[in-house]
Amino acid sequence: MVNDAGAQRVATDASSTMKPITESSLSDYLATRVPEWREARIHGLHRLPLGASRETYRFDLSHASADGGARETVRLILRRDPPASNVDSNRRHEYECYRAIYGHGIPVPRMILLEEDPAHFDGAISLAEDLRGFHNSEYQLQNPEWQPRLPRLAEQLWGYMGQLAAVDVGTLSVAHFMPPATVESTARQELDYWVTKLEKNDVGAEPITWAAIRYLRRNYPVAQKLSVVHGDFRAGNVLYDDEGNVRAVLDWEMGHLGDPLEDLAWSITRTFSFGKDDRRSGVVPKEVAVSTWEKASGLRAEPKELLWWELFACVKAQAIWAAMGHVWESGANQDVIMPYAAWWLRNAQDRAVLELMGKL
Amino acid sequence: MRPAVAPVAAFLATRMSQEIAPKLEGFSAGNAGMIGAMLQMMSEEWDRAASRLVVENAAVRTLLQRAGEVLGDASFGAAAVGDDLDLRISSLDAANDRLRRVLTAAHARVEERDGVDARALEAAIWDELRASVARRRISSANF
Repeated sequence: MVNDAGAQRVATDASSTMKPITESSLSDYLATRVPEWREARIHGLHRLPLGASRETYRFDLSHASADGGARETVRLILRRDPPASNVDSNRRHEYECYRAIYGHGIPVPRMILLEEDPAHFDGAISLAEDLRGFHNSEYQLQNPEWQPRLPRLAEQLWGYMGQLAAVDVGTLSVAHFMPPATVESTARQELDYWVTKLEKNDVGAEPITWAAIRYLRRNYPVAQKLSVVHGDFRAGNVLYDDEGNVRAVLDWEMGHLGDPLEDLAWSITRTFSFGKDDRRSGVVPKEVAVSTWEKASGLRAEPKELLWWELFACVKAQAIWAAMGHVWESGANQDVIMPYAAWWLRNAQDRAVLELMGKL
Repeated sequence: MRPAVAPVAAFLATRMSQEIAPKLEGFSAGNAGMIGAMLQMMSEEWDRAASRLVVENAAVRTLLQRAGEVLGDASFGAAAVGDDLDLRISSLDAANDRLRRVLTAAHARVEERDGVDARALEAAIWDELRASVARRRISSANF
């Protein structure tokens, strides 16, 4: 909710347990932290309905120009870590992911500032350039007028995903913040991580998810190569323009070294099929997504290995949906999206497991 | 309660999604849209919850008794003992959660067991899991 409180605008919502971020508190902080933004003034601070794991705010910052001319305006995005989230990550991790990927062919916004001391805003924050005028809605893509533009969006969505898979990780500055992995270890590492998370955030029996976990533990694949994996690559995490061109890939908080098939499998999981049909990510059929990715990456998505990662995606997703229910029940984060997602997605994810295991 | 809860919740869901949410902006609009969708889910679940839980708990109890015989483990049969005389959703849910956790353990054990009886039980467990997903299905789900 954006309230006018006298001369001070406050961006908050009733469910937040954190102190509100105000235009004046942000101005005061930036005056000290970024002295080159002289006489900084914040305008239009408001929270965006983006994502469930972090709070995202948009604002304009105007400041005196260095040469004494007209004031300059900068458009910015602020992300804040909440006290509890469905994703255990932190500001530095996502910030460093963006910085590592920037300039390597995958469009991402430029990072500007990282503040890890929670004393300032009740949680770590980061600032990034705000790429405005674009869209970010899986629902909008289902409107009939968008259908002619979906092939272009698909070409770029899975094209950039394939490009990310093709990047030589040795050329990226990621070793200082991403846990090490090998082509042999990554599948087990990722599964262990998300199973632990599922157990930690227990909100009820998961007989179907555990059947999938047992299958996965009997059939670990070896990756073709090691890549940076975005971790949440899908239509809902890109900005696209009026023509359906992808202008930015967002939400890198789960970025890690791993099997590039992981991103492909995640993007085609059934729960992201917002058209409620066979189009994955609500955009194109699975076969088109896979072939586009193969062409862009130069890699093969072998059916057996892809199936493993598709089932893994269901386990990971179920761990996240369970965590959303758990953090709401604990009272640590009572954003509406937490129980909403748990209600809406858990059974659909089970149904996706049934389909993948040939049991539907 | 009259009017009945399920149609009232569905009515409120529509008002929230189509009348209130469009008048809001940004984060508040997103919240209102989700609240509308949750009211719709509550409408669906209100009417069927007790029925699906009673049916499911009975089905799982039958499977656990069978698992006790096939696996030669009396603890599964013991876990199946109980009834659903208390029809409050919270009580039925608690029993359901307990039963499905034991079913998960039985499923893992039977996967490792050879023999016609084990395969038949495994197929029956999958049949029940498939039925459980159908019982819980929400009309707004993507899949």
